[in-house]
Order: sequence, then structure tokens, then C-alpha cells
Amino acid sequence: MDALPPHQRPPMRELGRRTEAAEMPFRHHQSLCQRPSTSLGTSGSFPPLVTVHRVGNRIEIAAASPEAQALGLAPGMPLTQARLLVPEIEVRDADPEGDAAVLTRLALFAARRWTPRAAISGADGLFLDLGGVSHLFGGEAAMCRRILAFCARAGFSARIAVAGTPSAAHALARFSGTGLCPPGGEGDALAPLPLAALRVEEGVLAAARRLGIETVGELAAMPRAPLQRRFGKTLLARLDQALGRAAEPFDPVVPEEPPAAELRFVEPIATAEAIGEALRLLMERLVGTLAKAGLAARSLALLCERIDGRVERIATGTARATRDGPHLLRLLSMKIETIEPGFGIEAMRLVAGRCESLGPEQLSGEKPAPDLALLVDKLAGRLGARRLFRRSAVESDVPERSVRRVGPLAVAVPWPRWPRPVRLLSPPERIENVFALLPDHPPRRFTWRGRLHNVRRGDGPERIHGEWWRHGREAEAVRDYFQVEDEEGARFWLYRRGDGDDPRTGDLSWYLHGVFG
Amino acid sequence: MSYHELQVTSHFSFLRGAASPEELFSAAALLGYPALGITDCNTVCGMVRGLKGSRETGVRLIAGCRLDLVDGTGLLVWPEDRAGWSRLTRLLTIGKSRTVPEEGPAIPRQGEKGQCFLHWEDVDPWSEGLVAALVPDEADGVTETALAQMAAIFGDRAHCALTHRRRPGDKLRLHDLDVLARRYGVRSLATGDILYDSPDKRMLQDVVTAIRNKCTIDDLGFRRERYADRHLKKPEEMERRFADYPDAIRATADITERCTFSLTELSYQYPDEIVMSGRSPQEALERLTWGKIDSKIPPDEPPEAYRELLEKELGLVAHWGYAPYFLTVNSIVAYARSQGILCQGRGSAANSMICYVLGITSIDPVKHGLLFERFLSESRAEPPDIDVDFEHDRREEVIQWIYQTYGHDHAALTAVVSRYRTRGAVREVGKALGLPEDVTAAIAGQIWGWSEKGVEERHVDELGLDKSDPRLSLTLDLARQLIGTPRHLSTHPGGFVLTRDRLDDLVPIEPAAMVDRRVIEWEKDDISELGFMKVDVLGVGMLGCMRRAFELLAEHKGLRLDLASPEMQEDDEETFNMICKADTIGTFQIESRAQMSMLPRMKPREFYDIVIQVAIVRPGPIQGDMVHPYLRRREGKEAIEFPSEALREVLFKTKGIPLFQEQAMKVAIVGAGFTPAEADALRKSMATFKFTGGVSKFEDKMINGMLDRGYTRDFAERTFKQIEGFGSYGFPESHAASFAKIAYASAWVKCHHPDVFCAALLNAQPMGFYAPAQLVRDALEHGVEVRPVCINKSRWDCTLENPPPDGEDLLPLRLGMRMVKGLSNLHAAQIVGARAERPFASVEDVWRRSGVPVAALERLAEADAFASLGLDRRQALWQVRRLGEKPLPLFLFADARDREPEVALNPMTDGREVVEDYRSIQLSLRAHPLAFLRPELERRGIVRCSDLPRIKDGTRIRLAGIVLIRQRPGTTNVTFLTIEDETGIANIILWQQRFQAQRRIVMAAPMIEVRGLVQREGEVIHIIGERLEDHSGLLHSVGQMHFPHRFSPADAGKNGGGRDPRDAPRPIPEETIRVKSRDFH
Repeated sequence: MDALPPHQRPPMRELGRRTEAAEMPFRHHQSLCQRPSTSLGTSGSFPPLVTVHRVGNRIEIAAASPEAQALGLAPGMPLTQARLLVPEIEVRDADPEGDAAVLTRLALFAARRWTPRAAISGADGLFLDLGGVSHLFGGEAAMCRRILAFCARAGFSARIAVAGTPSAAHALARFSGTGLCPPGGEGDALAPLPLAALRVEEGVLAAARRLGIETVGELAAMPRAPLQRRFGKTLLARLDQALGRAAEPFDPVVPEEPPAAELRFVEPIATAEAIGEALRLLMERLVGTLAKAGLAARSLALLCERIDGRVERIATGTARATRDGPHLLRLLSMKIETIEPGFGIEAMRLVAGRCESLGPEQLSGEKPAPDLALLVDKLAGRLGARRLFRRSAVESDVPERSVRRVGPLAVAVPWPRWPRPVRLLSPPERIENVFALLPDHPPRRFTWRGRLHNVRRGDGPERIHGEWWRHGREAEAVRDYFQVEDEEGARFWLYRRGDGDDPRTGDLSWYLHGVFG
Repeated sequence: MSYHELQVTSHFSFLRGAASPEELFSAAALLGYPALGITDCNTVCGMVRGLKGSRETGVRLIAGCRLDLVDGTGLLVWPEDRAGWSRLTRLLTIGKSRTVPEEGPAIPRQGEKGQCFLHWEDVDPWSEGLVAALVPDEADGVTETALAQMAAIFGDRAHCALTHRRRPGDKLRLHDLDVLARRYGVRSLATGDILYDSPDKRMLQDVVTAIRNKCTIDDLGFRRERYADRHLKKPEEMERRFADYPDAIRATADITERCTFSLTELSYQYPDEIVMSGRSPQEALERLTWGKIDSKIPPDEPPEAYRELLEKELGLVAHWGYAPYFLTVNSIVAYARSQGILCQGRGSAANSMICYVLGITSIDPVKHGLLFERFLSESRAEPPDIDVDFEHDRREEVIQWIYQTYGHDHAALTAVVSRYRTRGAVREVGKALGLPEDVTAAIAGQIWGWSEKGVEERHVDELGLDKSDPRLSLTLDLARQLIGTPRHLSTHPGGFVLTRDRLDDLVPIEPAAMVDRRVIEWEKDDISELGFMKVDVLGVGMLGCMRRAFELLAEHKGLRLDLASPEMQEDDEETFNMICKADTIGTFQIESRAQMSMLPRMKPREFYDIVIQVAIVRPGPIQGDMVHPYLRRREGKEAIEFPSEALREVLFKTKGIPLFQEQAMKVAIVGAGFTPAEADALRKSMATFKFTGGVSKFEDKMINGMLDRGYTRDFAERTFKQIEGFGSYGFPESHAASFAKIAYASAWVKCHHPDVFCAALLNAQPMGFYAPAQLVRDALEHGVEVRPVCINKSRWDCTLENPPPDGEDLLPLRLGMRMVKGLSNLHAAQIVGARAERPFASVEDVWRRSGVPVAALERLAEADAFASLGLDRRQALWQVRRLGEKPLPLFLFADARDREPEVALNPMTDGREVVEDYRSIQLSLRAHPLAFLRPELERRGIVRCSDLPRIKDGTRIRLAGIVLIRQRPGTTNVTFLTIEDETGIANIILWQQRFQAQRRIVMAAPMIEVRGLVQREGEVIHIIGERLEDHSGLLHSVGQMHFPHRFSPADAGKNGGGRDPRDAPRPIPEETIRVKSRDFH
């Protein structure tokens, strides 16, 4: 195009239709680049890798690595057949969401780097609208080379084609080797391509093939009315779109910026009060922005640019998404004193790094239960988020494993109905001088920490088996727990290793594992 | 005071219990229990196994059941007597026939809780004669209500089960329960709530629970069985634990005393038959058989032999009282005959003169010298086993007739307990232990078919897995334990139980997955253990084919034949000549690769040779290395000798080599001093060795017995090995004879009427070993003219047309519309109906007059059926596609047609036509795809299949063809390939090493080139493959598109490696395909 004299160059709008499609035949490439070695697998050179997905009752190959494709494994082949052909293939589950996420990231990158208008095409392609941008990269050909080089560096194998319509670019990128299609040359470029290049559904495609219509050129040469009668509108519509006779929607991705507010100062500020005041102002604006977008913040960062060019940063997170200005302000204000103003701060920026959409709020009526989140945020701000937790029960009979920490606002699983001591000793302490009848009677007396306890009452045994699937040692282990009360009314949780019958289950030694309140 | 264990859950409470009834009983015997009560959840399907265990150990079985009511109450019931048992089975039948409307129909096959829906109101009317115990949780209001119900319903038979759970507050809980029960006048009962026989099974128990909950063991959490001590404990220990409740212990003894019911009391009544009309069954049977025998005696045979045999058999039948059974089978067969459904008895019934006279079988026992003893003998109290094969596609009519005639309350199918085998066990245990799915799949893939041996070390090594990984080794270990555990009940394809009294008085009945079928809870073996009668109504596709052949013969050639006709009894020389040449494509049983390669060496000359032929190409004889010695002796290369005079009689007919199950048993009897019952037990234990064990007991007895009688150790061991193979993969002689009968009949038709044979075979598809393309090709080679599918000539079935005037013998075969892929029978019928008026003139004409949818016409156009209208495929399709969804009013239609511009379509290349033929009708009458490639192939120096007979042994050649069949027999290390070019078929042998090196080509390429050595063995030619080349690209070029490669039924390229799943041990699945291609795999 650069060869054309300026007055013959197509106008901007037409340039806007120049579209290219980049394609990745091997999806989910990332697992290839950073392939973790499984503990069970053999090491060595890359074995052929396929990803699989379930289609109805059978498992099919979704994508195959170049090594696998070289061995004749192709997408759509049932996994059982593939295993038959290549017993040593490595199989992973397909991750269409992950693939889509990678593609979206790539599209966003393209939108920032190459052209403002980039769109996702199917599961494996991108449309880039080159209208008005290719000259920035040294022309279409040079730009294509740069894009391909970028893709290769990023680990994608890509193909690229430039044409006047998205459909034509799509077809050429997938079914032909040629990259650049001269303006208006779409018809000629597409003519030798198979009909499948037009993105028509399989049924129409098969019917057309039956009638001997194999290529786009053959289709274009046929009278339209009989075709429409036999194949419906879509086939001709696709053809028209490819040849630029009909418009095609283009749905570009829009890069999203995190909500932020910014202040620049005429005079640099340095005092905590001034920073606090500026922060209040920023917060007001940010909350307004968030409210408009229907979002609420999970994390906030305040960036202060000092005149010496350094950036001071304070940040906070919230336990639940909120756009409660005063609350957020309180959380950040606590940290203002950690800011080093140096010779002064000339700009401040408040960014909501993580946002979530906020559910509806109750405006009136019954008073809602007090919101713990505010308190949690405050405590977490003081103590550190890791020190704040709640206990939840785990479905395990082994006492040491029956508890775990969960987040302060998470729903804790209620305790099972069987009584457990309020305090567990970790590790359990050995007790001496135990006098108990075998096989299943609670002890009459025992010595713990040098003190003799005479047991008045006892209940048990509660027989707890080891969790054999966790550790070989636990396969046969048994603990018989007893709840006992001594003469003074103190209650203890004791256990004996072994079931008192079978020596394999334990050595019959006694331990104290907990005390009741 | 003596404790009896009454609450035991076996593994027949699917995925709840972890031990078999046999294991539980032997543990109970060891611990000194005099009786054991089995209470599975809502089922009694393990009860017969329990009875077996009880017989073996002497511990009495107290039959019972745990009823899990819809409201969550658990109720144990034990019938006191026979009447109580009937009430229990009726009650279970009611619960199982229910579905919960809001959740849709219950899934009967899952064997899960939720399949049986019972309420307190149901229990009440059926409670008489049942001793019951409530399984309470805590002593709370729920229990209180339930106790009140118990007292009201069961009165003094009500109990409350006290069980130690080993959880906190256990003692107090028991005390409260005891007090509460007392308050309602319900007696406490000590139970152990047993899930397994020994503490070692705890892991397996957790695994089955995880499998049942479909989660991993790590996620199982509190869904595990958390109450401890679920194994059988000593009675003294239980008495010590329940020392505070002596009456609860006494109650166990009282129940044991009270429930005197034993399963052996279930007396079975044969259904009455109409033919009896006032006579006793024996009289009726005698009248029937004596009345018919004269017509069955061939004129050239001495009638005395027949009469004597019948006399003897009738005597035996009278002795055991089996006459009603014969009458019932006779009624079923008579019904099938009256409907024109072809049928034939198989199995040991073929040895019987009564069956022959009644027409149940068509093998003349005198002429073929079969032994009646295998069927019935004075020493065996087992009821006879008559299996009847019906035409596969009309079997349903017979089944529905049985239901109508005998009633749904008196007829039901037997169940089949599906059990875990190695593959399933590894897969499920691996899943439960959280192994990655592909690892378990890879391990399972290493297992050969139906193995029950568990995963061996070498399998894991071959995959390069780390055996020291704890989860992996746990998986392998637990999977081995899981093998043999039942997972659900499914329905036997055709085993019927028929009774005179209500069947649900004997055993619970539940609806089967198929509509209108009902199935009892017991298996075939259970039924025979109790002495019930069973008729197997099985399906064989070849019988359908033979019926069609007989109909065509009657219609076109005026020959009226059936399987019992004299033509089918006599040995026809021409037919045997054909069989000797291995020209048997399409015939029954003797058509497979393995069979065909054996035929020229066997050279069958009489019927009995076919019997041997059918039986010899089986895994049993092959594994026992009996085939080659037999062939050598037959060919006269080796002297026929007998290990002893005593065995001469046994082995005379098979030249000193035991080939049949009966012979193996006789060898055990004559050679090793087994009693006939022991020999039969030996055979049965082989078939099911994984459940019962005890094979080694027989092995020692057999080998020692033979050594004592002066046989060599080598012979003894060889014989034992063979019996081992027979257990699952051998044929009894009578069974082989039944199959040989059909095989001979089909060969006879093929030999004399190849036109009829081909038409009948095509109409009976899908069946058999070969695809339609090979069948048609075979017919063409036999001089049959085959005509293409035609819109104006074809009917649904393939038909025979009038011969051209020059007087050919063979009638031309017109392919039917059934060959057209995707065309429904209904639409074809509409077209044929509309055509009757006058032939169609155009595509629109067909459409308007027949009223079939456009899609149906499209299928026909794709099959090139409009050729007679002067339209080729594309033109026809072009015209069809123009038609709207509904015929338009005439004037509009004419309008639209006039305006259409002319369109020139690309003509199809010849190669493409062939490909399209294959795509639509699976064969082509034009040319073979390879014909188009021949110039190219010749340039490369590739020979034709038809050249092979002229090539010298040991020559190195190149050959190319489309792959028809790939087979990997489990017993050998070779792979067989059958390839086809335009001139014929060639067989390739690939040794293991060559196969491994070229695995992908073998398994995937639709067309290959083979370089290898010609090996001749008499008339049989094989190519020993050395190098293969993938020629799919070349094949692709024929039609410029993929060749529609159809896998043959035996093609290993389709299903995962390993032994073919169809190669099941008996019971033989219903479809013929399965039965027929059971060769070597």
C-alpha cells in the first residue's frame, strides 16, 4: 500500500476494515512450556502430549502436541484409540477456560500494543484491525513479521493473514499459506480454498461436497437462487461477508483499567495532616467512581510520588468487598505514618487493585445483623491478616486432624456431636502408673506430670483407627480413648495405644490428650 | 446363655459389606458359632451363597433381611418358617416395584439404597411369621415412636437391637435404649452389626464406601463407617461385652431357635401345561413322544435303537420327575414353530432323544452317537439344562409370549451379579484413592480382558510406574481384594424361571431395566442350587438368516426345508468339498480366520468333523496345546495311541486327544478316580475359581489320582491344564454339535444356493464376521449377479429377481433399501407402497407420491438409487435438495421449477463414485478402490492377492490392500491382519517384535503395503510380514477424500487392546455376532 501515491491510497474508513487473524493451532501451550514432571511418570525427553475432553460417553483428544501430531494423533480421536496407537502418550485434561483466558490476555496485549481494535475469534484466533496503525509498525508486512516474532518468543506457533474483511483473513490464515491479500483481491485469494474456510456448519459443508462444490471459487461461480434454495441463507451470507459484500460485526476487546483517583499538587506536601486530607479527597472520588461502576474494593493502594522520583506505597485489603468511604479511609489512615515524605510529595494516586461487584444493599426496614467485616478489617489492620482466624471442624476422627484454621469471615463447620475436650495437648503426654483392666475398661488411676489421679468415673472406649490412606504406619494403629473424671472432679481425655487385643494395633502405652473444662 | 450373631451384612449389600457369605461362614465356623444370620439391605440375593457357605461349614444359616424404610428406620427381619419367608419376599417385591414419582423412576439396576421403597404401613400386613428387630440410633423420640410401631406390629416378635459402637457414651446409650425398649414391651437383642469377617478388611470397607459415595477416600470424611469393631468376634467376647444384658444374649438364642426356616424348604413346582389335559405330566410326555417318534426315525435306520433310547430316557425322566420341564420347553418351542420362528436347542439337550423327538433339537442322537449321560444321569439330582436358541431379532416375541402365557407373577428372568474384575477393580480403587485417571486407565489398559488375577508387577513395570509409591501399592493391593465383589445386579439376557405358584413367594422380583421385564434376585447358579427349573431363551442371528434362506428357497425355488429336513441330516459331499477348500465366508462358526486356516488341514468329511472343528478352535484346546497333536494324528503323521485301555473308550472319537468338556471330565473320572459329582464340581470350580478357591485341592487330587493309576506326570499335568482352560473357554460336545448343526446347514445353503445365501445374510445384518462388502464379493465370485439399489426395483430387504432369459441357475440379487445408510424401514415401505401403482418417473414424483421426508430421499440419492431415472448421484441430490419440507400445492411447485436456472455440476470421478458407494451402502458394485491404484501399485512392484497361489513358498513379495481385520489372540504373540485388494484377500502374520515396531501403522492405517515372505501350508497361504507401509494417502487419492473405513466386528483397532470383551465365559451373550466370532482372540 505504501507503494501507492498518496491520493490513491484508500481512505481511513476502508483501512479500518483491514483485519488480520492470528491463530494458535496448539492451544494451551503453557502446559508445554512449563510442564511439571509427574512423580509417577518416567523422565527423559518430552513424550507426546495430548489434552483430552469428554464428548458424550467417550474421551476425545482436544489438542495434540507437535510430537503427538507427528505420531498421527489428531484432535477428535478417541483417547482409547490414541493409547492403542501410542501407549506412552501423556494425557492431560483440556482446560478451555484456561485457554480462553490466555487468548483474552493476548487480545488485551494486542489492543494495548498494536491496535486499539482487537477481537477474539473462536477458541484459537484473534482479529486485529490494522486500519490506520500498520504504518506505525513499518507497513503491513513488517508488522506481521513483528507480530509473528512476538508470538514465537511467547511460545505460540501462529499464522497470520491480512485481508479486507475479517472472514477472508480468517479463511486465509487457516487454510492458506499466503499472508497479505492485496486490497480487493479477496475473491481471487479465496477461490482455491475449500468451502470449510467459510465457517459454515458441518451439515451444509457435507451437502455441498456431495454436490461437487469443493472450493469457494466454485461456489462463487454458481447462480445464487438455486443455492439459496438448497442451502439456506447462511452459506451465501458467509460468502458475501468474506468478499466484503456484506457487513460483519466486529466485537473488540476493551482493556480495563482498575478504578483510580489522582491528585497533583502545586506545592509538594509533607505533613501527615496534609496527606490525610488529600487521601480523604481521593477516597471521595474513588468511592464515586466505584459506585458508578457498581464495584467495590477488596484491596486499595495509595501511591505517593515524591519529588525525588521515588514512590511511597501503602496498601490495605478488606475482608469483604466494600465501598464504605469512611471505613476504607480509616484503614488507610492507620498507615499514613509509615509514609516517608522525604522532600515532599507532588502527586498521589489511589488505586482499587482488586474489585468485586457489590450486591444490593438494604436501605431501610429491619436492622441487619451487625457487620463483622468492619471489625475484622480493623483488627487485621492492627495485628496482620494471618493472626486472625476462626476454627472449623474437619471430617476426621483423628483428634489432631479434626481442626483447621479458616478465614475470619468463613463459615465454620460445626463440631460433631461427640464431646471433645476444650483443650488438646500437642503432643499428647505420656502418663504413668496406669491401672486399667484389659481389654476395654477405663483406667482406675494414673500419674500425670508427677501427680497421681484416682479415677472416679470413666466412659469408653471410643475406638479411633488410623487413617490408613495417609500413612503406612497408621494402617493398623488403633487408639482407645477414655473420658475420665478424678476424685476432684477434673476431667481428662486419655488414650491407650492398641485395642487391648491385637498387639499389631499398638503397644498399650497410655497418653493424656486433652482436658475438659 | 449363648450368643448368636444375627446382624451380618455381606457384600451382596452392594458396596456396603466387604465380605462374601462364604468368607463370613467360614469365619463363623472358626469362631464356634452354631448359626449365623445374614441380613443384607433390602435384598436376599446373597442368601443362596450363604446356604452354600452354610452347607460347607455346618453353621446354620438364618435367612433374614435388613429393611431400610423410607423414613430412615432400619429393621431386621428373620422369617420363622416357609410362610414367613414368602411374606418377606412379597414385601420386598412390593418395595422394589415402587418408584418415587417426584424423583422419576427408581433405577433398578444400581443395587443402591433407594431402590426399595417401603413404609411402616407396608410392613404391617406382611409381618406375620417374621421376627423383627429395630436398629435404633439414640434413645430419643424417633426411637420411641419406632418402638411403639414395633410393639404394635410384631407383638412378642419385636426386638430392639443393642450394638456396641465404640463411640463416646456408648454404655449410657445402650442402657437408655434397653430401658426404653422395656417400656414398650420390646425385648432387647444383642447384635454385632457385622460388615466383614476379620479386622483386616477394614481398609477394603472404607474403599467400597468411597466407591459407593463416588468420592476419594480423602474426601470421604464422616461418610466412612465410623462405628468400630465391625468384624465377627468370638461368642464369648460378645457375651462379656453384653454381660449387663443377659436377656439380650438369650434373645439371640431364642430367635435362632424360633426361626427354623431353611432355604432348602423352598419347593419348586413346575408349571402346568395345556397338553396334559388331565394326565400326569409323565403320561403326557410319554404320549407325546411315542406319538411322534415314528416320524423321526429315518427309513434306513433300525427303529429299535431309537425306541430303546427313548425308553431309557423316559425312565430317567420319570425317576427324577422332570417330565413337566420337558413339556414346558416343548410348549415354548411349539409356540415359536407356530409363529415361524426358527429355533434350536443347544447345550446338553442336544444329547437327548426326547428333545430330538419333540423337535427341540434337530440332531439325531443315534446317528451322531451322542451321550445322554451329560444331559441327565441317575447319579445327578440336578435338573436338566435345556437352552434354546431363537432367531435373534424375533426372540422378543417368544419372551413376550412366555410372559403372557405364564403371567408376570410366574415368569421372570434370572439375574446376573456383575462383579469387579481386574480392570474395573483397578479403575475404581484408583479413583477412590485419588490416583490420576490416566494412570489407572493405563494400568487397566495393560490387563488382558476378563482377567481375575489382579494387576501383576510386570504390568506396573511396563508402564514405568513407581511401585514404591504408597498410594499405588495400596491401590494394587486393595484392587486385588476387591476382585469378585459384586457391584450390582443385572438381568440375564434370556434365563427364565417359570413356576406354577407365585414366583414372588419364593424370591423377590424387581422390574428390570427393560420395559416389561422382571427379574428375580438370584443368579442361574443359585437357581440350580435350589433345584429350580430354568429355560434359556437365547438369540442367534444365524437362525434368523437361515429362516430367511428357507423362505427364499421356498418362494423362488420351490424347496421346502428346515433344520430337521433330511437334507440337513445327511452328509453332502459337495458341501464338504466346499468346506475343505475353506470357502466358508458367511457360514456359521467356521467362517473366521482361525477356523478357515484350520479347515484345509482338518478336511472335514462328515458331520462329526464339523463338531470337532467348531470345538477345536477355542482358547481351551489351544491353551491346552491339543490342536496340533489332533491335526497330526488326523493327517496320519502321528500314531493314534491311548494312554490306557480305559481311556480308549473316552477318547476314541477324538483320536486320543481330549477336546470336549465331557471328555475332560471323563478323564478325571476314569483316569483319576473322581466321582461324577466331583468331576462336575471340578469343572464348575474352574469356571468360578476366583470365588470359591479350592482349585489346588482338585489339582493335587487329579494329578495324584492319575499317577496312582499309572499315567505319566506329563500327561496328568497336561490334562489338568486343559480342564483349567475348559472351565471358561471350552465347549461341551453337545454344544459344539448344536452349533455344528447350524454351521452345516448354512454351509449347505451356501454351497447349493449362493444367491439365496447372500440375500439371507445381507437381510440378517448386522451379524457375523464379515462386512456386506465381503459377503457380496464372495457371492459375485460364486457367479451370483448382484444388482444395485434402485428406487423402482428395490424393496426393503434384498430380493432375488427373475433370471435373464438365457436360463442361468442362479437368480440375480437385488440389493434392498436396508443397505442404504440412514434410511428408515418406514420410509422405504412408503416408497415401495407408492410404487405399486406405477413406477416413479422423477424425483418429485417419488416425493409427492410417497410422502417421505426430503432427508430420506437424500439418503437414497447418496446411494445412487435414482440411476434408473437417468440421474447420477449429484444430479439426484441437486434435485432432492430443491424440494421443500412439505410438498407444495401443484401450481406453486410448477412455478418454482420453471424459474430455476440450469446448473452444471462437476461430474464425479470413478474413484469418488466408489468411495461414495462405500459411504452409503458399505460396498461398491463398480470397482474395488484398489483397482484405481493398480497402475501405481504395479509401478512399485506390488503383486495382487490373486497372484499368491502362483508364488513359490519363501519368496519375498510386496502386497498392498485395505485392512479388513486385525486380531491379536491373547494366547499367542502374533497379530493377524487380513487385507483385501481388488482380486482377493490375503492373510498376514506379524510377530510380536514386528508388531511393536510398527504398532501405529498396524492399528491405524486403513490401507497398508506389506513386505514379507510367502509361507505356504498346503492350500493355506500366509504372508509373514516384515515391513509395513502406511498407504492411507494413496487410498485417499482414490476419491480425494477419506475412505470410509469400517471396522470389522473382530477388529482390534476399534476397541482397546486386550482380549476381546465379547469373549466372555459363559453365559454366552445373546447376540450372534458375539457367539460367532469367538475364535482365538
